[in-house]
Amino acid sequence: MIVSFKLNGELVEVDVPPNMTLLDVLRRKLGILSVKRGCERGECGACTVLINGDPVCSCLVLAPQAEGKEIITLEYLSKNGEIHPIQEAFIEAGAIQCGFCTPGFILTAYALLKRNPNPTIDEIKKALEGNLCRCTGYIKIIEAIQLAAKKLQRYSR
Amino acid sequence: MIPLSEDPFYLIEKWLKAKEFLVIGKSIQRIDAFEKVTGKAKFMEDYVLPNMVYVKLVLSSEPHARIKAIDVGRALKIRGVVGVLTAKDIPGENQVGYALPDQPLLAEGKVRYAGEPIALVAAEEPEIAFEASLAIKIDYEPLPPLLDPLEAMKRTDVLVHDERGSNIAFTTRVRKGDVTEGFRVADVIVKNEYRTQHQEHAYLETEGALAIPEIGGRITIISCAQYPHLAQAITARVLGIPASRIRIVQPYIGGGFGGKDDMGPLVAAKAALAAYKIGRPALLIYSREESMKSHCKREASIIRYKSGATKEGKLTAIEVEIIMDTGAYANRGPFILWRATMHASGPYEVPNAKVDGYCVYTNKVYQGSFRGFGNPDVQFAAEAQMDELANKLGMDPVEFRLKNILRPGSLTITSQLLDHSVGIAEALEIVAQRASWKEKRALYSKMKGRFRRGIGVACAWHGISTSRGVPDWSNAFIKIEKDGSIHVFTGIVEIGQGSPTTSHVQIVSEVLGVPVNYINMYFGTSDAPDTGATHASRGTSIGAIGVLVAAAKLRERLNKLAAELLECRPEEVIVRNGKAFVKGREEKYIMWKDLIKEAYARGIEMSATGFFFLPKGTFDHEKGQGFAYPAYSYIVNIAEVEVDIETGIVRVLRMWPALASGRIINPLAVEGQIEGAIAQGMGLALMEKVEFDERGVVINANFTDYVVPTIMDMPKVEKPVYVEDLFKYGPFGAKGVGEMALIPTPAAIANAVTHAIGIRVTELPLTPEKVYFLIRKRKMKG
Ligand code: FES
Ligand code: FES
Repeated sequence: MIVSFKLNGELVEVDVPPNMTLLDVLRRKLGILSVKRGCERGECGACTVLINGDPVCSCLVLAPQAEGKEIITLEYLSKNGEIHPIQEAFIEAGAIQCGFCTPGFILTAYALLKRNPNPTIDEIKKALEGNLCRCTGYIKIIEAIQLAAKKLQRYSR
Repeated sequence: MIPLSEDPFYLIEKWLKAKEFLVIGKSIQRIDAFEKVTGKAKFMEDYVLPNMVYVKLVLSSEPHARIKAIDVGRALKIRGVVGVLTAKDIPGENQVGYALPDQPLLAEGKVRYAGEPIALVAAEEPEIAFEASLAIKIDYEPLPPLLDPLEAMKRTDVLVHDERGSNIAFTTRVRKGDVTEGFRVADVIVKNEYRTQHQEHAYLETEGALAIPEIGGRITIISCAQYPHLAQAITARVLGIPASRIRIVQPYIGGGFGGKDDMGPLVAAKAALAAYKIGRPALLIYSREESMKSHCKREASIIRYKSGATKEGKLTAIEVEIIMDTGAYANRGPFILWRATMHASGPYEVPNAKVDGYCVYTNKVYQGSFRGFGNPDVQFAAEAQMDELANKLGMDPVEFRLKNILRPGSLTITSQLLDHSVGIAEALEIVAQRASWKEKRALYSKMKGRFRRGIGVACAWHGISTSRGVPDWSNAFIKIEKDGSIHVFTGIVEIGQGSPTTSHVQIVSEVLGVPVNYINMYFGTSDAPDTGATHASRGTSIGAIGVLVAAAKLRERLNKLAAELLECRPEEVIVRNGKAFVKGREEKYIMWKDLIKEAYARGIEMSATGFFFLPKGTFDHEKGQGFAYPAYSYIVNIAEVEVDIETGIVRVLRMWPALASGRIINPLAVEGQIEGAIAQGMGLALMEKVEFDERGVVINANFTDYVVPTIMDMPKVEKPVYVEDLFKYGPFGAKGVGEMALIPTPAAIANAVTHAIGIRVTELPLTPEKVYFLIRKRKMKG
């Protein structure tokens, strides 16, 4: 079947089997490789994308459910070699190790900071509860998001 | 005779003595950071090739059975199926055991655990491979499964491996002094049995490999192994072709923690078998369920521990029995047991020791390498014993430890003399102060009410490099291109820890005096000289010596050349920021690029290898005495917890780590290792456990039922204390960090919980249920 949606600001149309997950549509049909496959059960958050601004596990979404939606993946955040302040913050805070969870965390943080530009530690934790990271122990990820919030406020001023 | 300027010992010592640093000890950014935050970093699954086939595993549903027949007929008839492979399709040896030759790549004749790979299905699409895998019918003749290691040890009527004649795969021992005498002179004796459980690595990326047939009969494998040369060797053995025809390339790896050290080669060999037989690129990726059911786990141990001390607080003897459930295959179990045995005392001096270890087969998924490698279990037991002895003696646990702790000049449990690099006493003293240990210990001992706090300490040591006289070496190949850019080849893998992407870059940058952006790292590949594995915390220690030595050789050559050009002595040449100049006279300089150009023009070789063979001593296996490891890294963790005595829920509030592991090359990266290790150790302490049903089938093979720590569970982790007790053969004195903080974490948390509830915990994980019943038991006793 033909499914069409907005992907990182561009309209796309794909011909896919109706039982294909959005994760597979993105990775296998559209070559969006920043979306990672960690569990395929909605448990790890590695496959997170933003659908109409909300973080969603793309492994739990079937292709037809994406129809007409606005989908954002990590590719959207950096343009012409310029990275987003959240990405900068992840680098500076040392919030990256293996990097497999990183796209999911950055997108979830992006959605959080859009909604709540100045989150408390507890609000950060709540927002990222569904993203697993086995390497960092999360501490530097929290620090990165705090740093990103500061950076974004500085930019918006 | 090698000239001094090319002698690794001379070069290592020379750089060890350096006093001022350009980049060593600084938190430089990872060179992979940009790729990783932009989603451009390639992992295994991101390599997509036209004409590739998708491979799917067929796993055993039975824990113990003879395979009577495998019917692949129906599967082969499915459109899009390209081939089905079983043991009989293996052209070389169907033998992949690391410690013992007991493990097939694909089951042959018999299956020994539920989840064991039996066949591979290759198809045009993953969905077709999946469908075909279900169409394969295996006819089993069930055998009684052995699940309890204590039972398996005794039985000979049912054998996991018939040809071995016993279910005991391997034994270890230590005999030091006279334990009978040691216990006779003891004023207090403590005896307990401890239990730990199987832990799942839960790396976010599952196992996988892509094998690509190449020209000249070669096969390139994009693999997720922690030791490319081992993946190469195992694949060559399975295919029956020379190792030189196999090329291993590694992308970024989504976490390893030891699991991919064991699994990497086995997965590479499976993908290669499919590619070799089918003649097309073959991609094999484990689903999460396949991964959790079939890949190796942290060992489950039973540790019986007796220890004695005098009333002055000196340890007199320990007697320890360690029984590890190795599951269906030995895998690295014997090495894990060996490490646990030789660390059984904890980092303390004990004059008399008797340790016996047993590695026992059962019909469960096999045990394997996991961060800490047998040591977290045994430190959990040893550190519980230390607290109990202190308690009986009425001594403060930190003070009691300090009376027995290893110091320079101490003899270890294997009677190895520690002549240098033993910084743990200082680490313990400093961290106890930082944590306000004394005050908190006293305060929490008097707590009342529903929420009780406790504070616990645990020390640990960890031998670096391979054990005993087992050869260990380092190597690397560095070439400086004509434009002055630098190409570094190492077999060390990037599994997230950052060795090749931070510390190696720093070492080369420091030694050659060039900015880090001149350096291109080519890591994790069999194209590099064999560097040994990225395990045992050796990436930035032993693994990086090769990089140091190769760079140092080039620096000697360049110093000589620069001295000629600048008319000074070679010792006076300074290279900094890509500029060589005479010490004290910066105006006399030559730019790096020109220096390299000149080297090429004069025929000075601008490439070097950094081979270093680590000197070792001898070991007496009968007595378990002698040279166990070239050096030890040390760590102390203090944990503060809160226990809800109504529900048994434990919350870890704060952790204070203190590390004595030689030079800290990149503090930010080290903090990351410590924090991640604490999270994993806390998972082991509180919540993680692979569960088996009554047939030995893993029943929690997903992240809903197998719970790993989330961001909600994390305590505050204080900035680490570092005692830089330099190791003479480490690069700049580094000893290794990766595993360290995990090792004492379960012990520290268990000791803190024990402090909070006033009753000794001896079994992990400390689930609310377990803690609740312990509390109830105490109340019932009044
Ligand atoms: S892959 Fe979607 S949540 Fe894990
Ligand atoms: S960095 Fe490896 S899982 Fe998060």
